Amino acid sequence: MLGLSAGIDRRLVYNLDWVLLGTSLLLSLLGAAMVYSATQAGSTPGLYVKQLTLVGVGVVAMALAAAIDYRRLADRAVLLYVMSVLALVYVLRFAPVIAGTRRWIVIAGFQLQPSELVKLAAAVFAAKIFSEYRQESLGLREVALPGAAIGLLALLIAREPDLGSAACLVPLFLAIAFLAGLRMRAVLGLAAAMLLAAGLAWPFLKDYQKTRIYTFLDPSLDPRGAGYNKIQSQIAVGSGGLVGRGFGKGSQAQLGYLPARHTDFVFSVLAEELGFVGVFVTLALYLLVVWRMLETARLARDRLGAFLVAGISAVFAFQLVYNVGMVAGLVPVKGFPLPLMSYGGSSVVASLMGIGLVLSVRMRRFAN
Amino acid sequence: MQSRLALLQALIVLLVAGLVVQFWNLQVVRARHFREQAENNRSRLVTLAAPRGALVDRNGKLLVGNRPSFSVLLVPEHAENLDRVVERLASALGMGEASIRERLARRQPYRPVVIKNDATLADIAVLDARRREIPEVSVEVVPLRSYPLANAAAHALGRVGEITERQLQLAEYKSLPPGALVGQAGLESRYNRELMGKDGYRRVVVNSRGLEVQEAAREPPQDGPNLTLSIDASLQAAMEAAFEGRSGSAVALDPVTGEILAMTSTPAYDPNQFTTGIDPALWASLASDPDTPLMNRVIQGSYAPGSTFKVIAATAALEEGVITPETSFYCPGQLNVYNTTFRCHPGGHGVVDLRRAIAVSCNVYFYQVGIRLEIARLAKWAKLMGLGAPTGVDLPAEASGLMPSAEWKLRVLKAPWYAGETVSVAIGQGQVSATPIQMARVAAFVANGGRLVRPHFARQATAPQPAPLVRPETIAAVKEGMRRVVAEGTGFRARLTEVEVCGKTGSAQVVTHARLAAAPSVHELQPHGWFICFAPADRPRIALAVLVEHGRSGGESAAPVARKILAHYFGLERGQPAPANGLVDSADAED
Repeated sequence: MLGLSAGIDRRLVYNLDWVLLGTSLLLSLLGAAMVYSATQAGSTPGLYVKQLTLVGVGVVAMALAAAIDYRRLADRAVLLYVMSVLALVYVLRFAPVIAGTRRWIVIAGFQLQPSELVKLAAAVFAAKIFSEYRQESLGLREVALPGAAIGLLALLIAREPDLGSAACLVPLFLAIAFLAGLRMRAVLGLAAAMLLAAGLAWPFLKDYQKTRIYTFLDPSLDPRGAGYNKIQSQIAVGSGGLVGRGFGKGSQAQLGYLPARHTDFVFSVLAEELGFVGVFVTLALYLLVVWRMLETARLARDRLGAFLVAGISAVFAFQLVYNVGMVAGLVPVKGFPLPLMSYGGSSVVASLMGIGLVLSVRMRRFAN
Repeated sequence: MQSRLALLQALIVLLVAGLVVQFWNLQVVRARHFREQAENNRSRLVTLAAPRGALVDRNGKLLVGNRPSFSVLLVPEHAENLDRVVERLASALGMGEASIRERLARRQPYRPVVIKNDATLADIAVLDARRREIPEVSVEVVPLRSYPLANAAAHALGRVGEITERQLQLAEYKSLPPGALVGQAGLESRYNRELMGKDGYRRVVVNSRGLEVQEAAREPPQDGPNLTLSIDASLQAAMEAAFEGRSGSAVALDPVTGEILAMTSTPAYDPNQFTTGIDPALWASLASDPDTPLMNRVIQGSYAPGSTFKVIAATAALEEGVITPETSFYCPGQLNVYNTTFRCHPGGHGVVDLRRAIAVSCNVYFYQVGIRLEIARLAKWAKLMGLGAPTGVDLPAEASGLMPSAEWKLRVLKAPWYAGETVSVAIGQGQVSATPIQMARVAAFVANGGRLVRPHFARQATAPQPAPLVRPETIAAVKEGMRRVVAEGTGFRARLTEVEVCGKTGSAQVVTHARLAAAPSVHELQPHGWFICFAPADRPRIALAVLVEHGRSGGESAAPVARKILAHYFGLERGQPAPANGLVDSADAED
């Protein structure tokens, strides 16, 4: 639809990163298995089939993304950016209110979450802008324009409200700017500015958002309310022990004590049922994914490719660390899906699509 | 750029390593703690209350039993939104939210809190209909105490109630949780341990909505053993009926074994009102009622024994040898000694021997006896016959009554004993006081050939008969006097046609003669009427004490009550009314 040729020749296939591809698919299947375990006792035991279907859709999207030459995609960065803004404005104005927020567009019965795709578009856009800079080191002045552009996207997403997805754009931008040569002083300055912004934003937070932060600091304030998720997740994780309680046998997950157990807290189910051993292996697989992505950035034939991969991996890594940290009770509960594993179409498809873009960069490292 | 990429790679490795450390901490270091919490989450301990043992009468008739009731329970930890649950429960059960919160405030972690005891079927129907809204709430079937006799024998049987803060501190109630139902009066309290049985439990797995998924363990409750009492329910009913609403008390014993056949104290209360926690207003009205319905008059009411004490005085005098049955005194209607006039029946009884003196209740005769015995020997015999000390009946909070003596007066009142006081005490007035059960025991003492038995309810292995404390001749003389009380004396209203009854009337002054004379018709100033008796005369099977409060004289008020009880006991209810016998009618006023 963007008028891109999607030809694949044998040399490209030869350079496919089978490790990244295989690890990602493995994690997706593991995710579907945990979704199965988390929902088998509930009212929607067939959800894992839907999840597997979505993984299939994601694989197709990944293949398409890999087939597209990322440089052709970057040529249309401004168009992608404008479409993103329009989609987000559309969501804010016309999307139905679901669970108190406007995040989804409903098309033919499918719920689509534009913010997931916007993250990819933002990565393309930021990578394109920064790859245009020729100087070795950048100051705050150079990052102001792309910063404002990405900031607008973040603001629109935050208005849905979806603070989690909006926050993902911060590491995306920082990672690309950092690689593009932003001076360390500027990096620190930006970090300070963001802390300040967070402080200024405090009065504008909704009550439920503030409550989440309070109860994160002291869950016993409200063991049945906002602290509930954190407490129940920690109990699930801790009671898993070294080897877990067995697949499909975690009492926290199976008896329904864990909230959002097939979506945001799917990793709690894994921790409870597969234990520390399962956690260790899964985190190792995730680390491998991120590591391979960053390796791709190192190997990329141009700055554009490196920046694109860096942006995508930053979002991926941020969501991974935040979600797993939340499951372990280290950070406040936020509605973050765990990439590849959490139930949810947009998240799975967008994650795989992002990996497709990374594959695309790596496949074309020798191409001209 | 390469070095900055390396930096990012290092960062992600560090972050993931940090996560691994945290999971190690949760899943390996603190695994046990979280496993326990998961256990608490998923399992719920359901107490299976052991029904208290039933109380049955000597013929196996149920006196106190249990009925199934519904308790509404809530484990606060299982409620996702406690405020909402409280709100919904309050509307479903028609209770105040405040009273529910009050109950929740006394909770123990993960233990169910009783929101409502003895819920009605309507309550249960409403909860069932709203099951999906408040799945955290559960309903259990709990045995509750029921007293089919209601007011009858209420004081003897007692009542149950929630264990008090004070009781929780006592060793006797060790290991009982707050809220446990324990005996709070009467036999329920005295035999609480024996009746309680042992609660069982069920450990069930519940899901996050509080719904039971499966049963993990079960320990069935052990019912409390039944307790067979010496009470005869039919006699008890006759005793209740005989009072016809008057205040007073009565107790019937088997004179040989001391088994209590019936006991009543009126006015009474309905112990059923206490089983689920009594309504505070009702409690206040019971506790402040001037007619003291909560008091067991049989063991807690101390009254001047009046002329019933003459049985003791006669026994003491005969045993001490100060008189023989044939010793006679002249009664001119009063006796002037120690500068005091001691009154008897106006007109006097003439020359009377001991038997006649008992029959007509001649005060002058016993004034003379008192003067000769003196207080020390009189007190000694009164105590031997059970006065001034609890009888040891198996009920809590028994009063001692009082048998005064010179030492007692010096110690307590810091004053010397006057010989004139002995004269009053000899006819059961003055400082002496006794409970109805003590006087029933005196009747049983004579009936049982001078042996003192311990009154009791719990049937037990027959205790060996105690040795007689007095000579048979003494008993024979006193018994003959008591036989004539009913046959021809002040107690004629207790007479039965086919069974010979031995008795003694008495009246316990409430105020001085002078005050009564000033207001002769005020009910509260009238003396209490006593009647103690046993029957049949030759082989006594029942001993009885009856006290009718403000009944004027015992012959007038208590003897007819005793007669009804005896008539029922001997199956003579359809017999003729009490024979009218004008012979000693005039003795009524002064028995």
